Amino acid sequence: MAEDKAWTSSAEITWCPGCGNFGILTALRQALAASGLSPWQVVVVGGIGQSGKVSQYVGANFLHGLHGRALPSALGVKLANPELAVIAVGGDGDMYGEGGNHLLSAFRRNPDIVCLAHNNGVYGLTKGQAAPTSTLAFTGKYPGAGTHSPPFNPLAVGLAMGGSFIARGFAGDVKHLSRLIGDALEHKGFGFIDILQPCVTYNHVNTAEWYRKRVYDLALESHDPSDEDAARARILEWPAEGDEVEIPIGVFYRSRRPAYETCGRAEARTSSAERRSADPASVVKKALEEFR
Amino acid sequence: MSELNLLIAGRAGQGLQVISRTLGRMLVRAGYHVFVSQDVMSRIRGGHNFARVRVSSEPVAADGDKVQVLAALDPALVERHVPDLSEDAVVVTEAASDLPEGVNSIVIPLEDLAREHGGDPVTANAAAVGALMALVGLEPAGLDEMFESEFGRKGEDVVRRNVAAARAGYQAVAEDHKRCCPHRLSPAPGLGQDAGAKAGTVPGREDAAAIRYSPRFRGHVPGRLLVSGAEALALGAIAANVRVVTGYPMSPATPIVEYCSRHAQEAGLIVEQTEDEVSAANLAIGAAFAGERAMVCTAGGGFCLMNEALSLAGMTETPLVLCVGMRPGPATGMATRTAQADVLFSIYAGHGEFPRAVLAPADATQAFQAAQEAFRIADKYQTPVIILFDQFMGDALWTVERESLRVTNDQAPMTNDQGGLKPYSYRRYEVGAGGVSPMLAPGTPEQLIYADSDEHMEEGHITESAAMRVLMVNKRNAKLAGMRAEVEVKAKVEVKVEAKEEAETLVFCFGSARGVVAEAVTRLRGKGRKVAMVHLKHVWPFPREAIGSITGKGRKVVTVEQNYTGQLARLLLQECGLSAAGTVRRYDGRPFTVAEVEAGLGRLITDERAKAGA
Repeated sequence: MAEDKAWTSSAEITWCPGCGNFGILTALRQALAASGLSPWQVVVVGGIGQSGKVSQYVGANFLHGLHGRALPSALGVKLANPELAVIAVGGDGDMYGEGGNHLLSAFRRNPDIVCLAHNNGVYGLTKGQAAPTSTLAFTGKYPGAGTHSPPFNPLAVGLAMGGSFIARGFAGDVKHLSRLIGDALEHKGFGFIDILQPCVTYNHVNTAEWYRKRVYDLALESHDPSDEDAARARILEWPAEGDEVEIPIGVFYRSRRPAYETCGRAEARTSSAERRSADPASVVKKALEEFR
Repeated sequence: MSELNLLIAGRAGQGLQVISRTLGRMLVRAGYHVFVSQDVMSRIRGGHNFARVRVSSEPVAADGDKVQVLAALDPALVERHVPDLSEDAVVVTEAASDLPEGVNSIVIPLEDLAREHGGDPVTANAAAVGALMALVGLEPAGLDEMFESEFGRKGEDVVRRNVAAARAGYQAVAEDHKRCCPHRLSPAPGLGQDAGAKAGTVPGREDAAAIRYSPRFRGHVPGRLLVSGAEALALGAIAANVRVVTGYPMSPATPIVEYCSRHAQEAGLIVEQTEDEVSAANLAIGAAFAGERAMVCTAGGGFCLMNEALSLAGMTETPLVLCVGMRPGPATGMATRTAQADVLFSIYAGHGEFPRAVLAPADATQAFQAAQEAFRIADKYQTPVIILFDQFMGDALWTVERESLRVTNDQAPMTNDQGGLKPYSYRRYEVGAGGVSPMLAPGTPEQLIYADSDEHMEEGHITESAAMRVLMVNKRNAKLAGMRAEVEVKAKVEVKVEAKEEAETLVFCFGSARGVVAEAVTRLRGKGRKVAMVHLKHVWPFPREAIGSITGKGRKVVTVEQNYTGQLARLLLQECGLSAAGTVRRYDGRPFTVAEVEAGLGRLITDERAKAGA
């Protein structure tokens, strides 16, 4: 039975105890509660993996779709009904592996969608294989499961693709992360947040403690998110090799670009209600004149 | 029936489609029935492309046999079409040199005319339109309007240049009759006479062998249109109030998206060219989940990429219409050519078990109806619906009676009417009769809508309960019974009409084969063969009872299909237990000809070893 009240769900949470997803779920709920939106005004589109299950747990409308495909489905929801607040949730495999092409396009299109990429540097649900964001130090659960490629840097890619809101959060700092999600919700465009997250079961390199020692808040460093060069420099600080690295979190870059669903698209501005009052028969009748 | 067949050959980039389309439309306006097929290479410039234009006093839905008028924009292409020509054929071309021996040629310097009058050699195609109009006896009245409709988007200047070139081409034939009426040219047989027009003769050539010039142009026939299969699919979707159309460019589906894109504004469409086919399908599912009618356009290869999304639509019970254009595979196959080899694939595509409908319209008129029917089924049963078409059908131009393009307008748009639901109590997958649950869209106040790719409970949350799994599998697949019952009712009427009582052999076909098979069967009946055609436009659920009601009685069953393995024959065996006595097949990427189907069926009918279907 559906018994959802504001930002709660009847679904049983099936994550491992201590999973970073709990922090992300709490931060998302806090941000939504602070946003003034009602649950029925929000759609969470989830990918597949432990991360995508967030869509079921938040207590909003959800479309729990396919692995890697949260972003296209989220765009479909937004185009069909721009009045809905749309949040796409997936893991590093979803967003950076399987769905990498969709992420490139989303940065370029700039739809008014929030994208939360849970980045724990490992594939959890399939039991411990390397992710695109695994570091070279990651060896995996069994021989050969490690990575032999340098880690993917989603923020650098986002900046190169013209992303309008590029941020990184940390699942271990819920207060900071919920503010970040709130900012992304307010941003009129593609609000992208890479979220660092420990995997207590499979990632023994990038643990919660490991992150906690290294993260620092950009906002405390007088970073100017409108400065693209400064953003690039901060983005390239991590991932990097070595034990002495520091990992910036916060908003790296923010720019004003028209949201995709509103730019130069008169047809998209026609609301669903207006459109339904139009008679398709008369549209067709006029169109047929072309074929005489 | 009197008819004339033209063939227009040239290189890619010479604007052959403009010629066949404008000429075809002028002929339709003048009261004729026209059928245009396109044979195009997968290249942008050069090569060898051609269009066949069949003009008739009666409805036509297939290419004619022999060509009476060949227009070759490049003289070097004439030789390849010599086997297509009738004995009295005339060839319109640029230069007399290099022409095969024995060809009746009319040499018209199209490029020079284009340069001189159209100000650009590229308008040679318009000059060809004018020349061909004069040849077949159309008056140039209405040319301006035609080119305005063809090129209006490109600006006044382009329209003016093309009209000037077309007029020059017309004059070159009409005025200089000595050059254009060679000895062996015979009149276009009966053309225009059925339409009640007065046949004229060329001044100075009053003998019977002269081509008959106007006045045959009767003015516009308002009820008749010339529409491609792809355009008809797009228009049908617009008639069905589609809102979101997606696709990644791929022949033969691209023209559907192009048409929608061109008319996005007035039809209120959101047309998305996505980064790939996977995105196209998942985006459409998102839009349909959010309450708008959504359609995906692709070809066989793109459809492969969409299979996981098809399965998602099945699991989430999202209404989704997919236009799938068949072309020869496997893999890239022959990109711009035709096939009917994806019917079994469409029926079984996607992992897991879920209901879907597969429609196979024959022509533009059926395509227009099929698109509306697809959305109706998709909404009613909350399933994916596949419209199978092919390159031949999609690119061909079909003469359509305007009144046959009925807007059925029977969609029940999704409302946010909660029907007295308590707040936050909606259950997306509530189990009820027929497997269909009431559908609400997200944004409904105080209700939450869950669509889940995982196996789920009635409200939509993930579950691994064995009992719930069985309940949901049963619920989803129960929808097929309702879909099947509808198909049987429709098919029963359709097959009864087509399977004439006295027929001893039933010829089964689906999709675009209809026009060719119908004509071949008519010819065979004219020769005393007891044969009838059964065309299936609903291929899934397969109308097994309707077919069962007309087979038996010692009737022989054969199929005509454009594939190697006889996929329709397999369906007849699988679904009806019918063993086809034979299959007329073609799989070289080219459409069937009436003559080959007639010959093939003739052999199967007389083959004693080919026994009646069990």
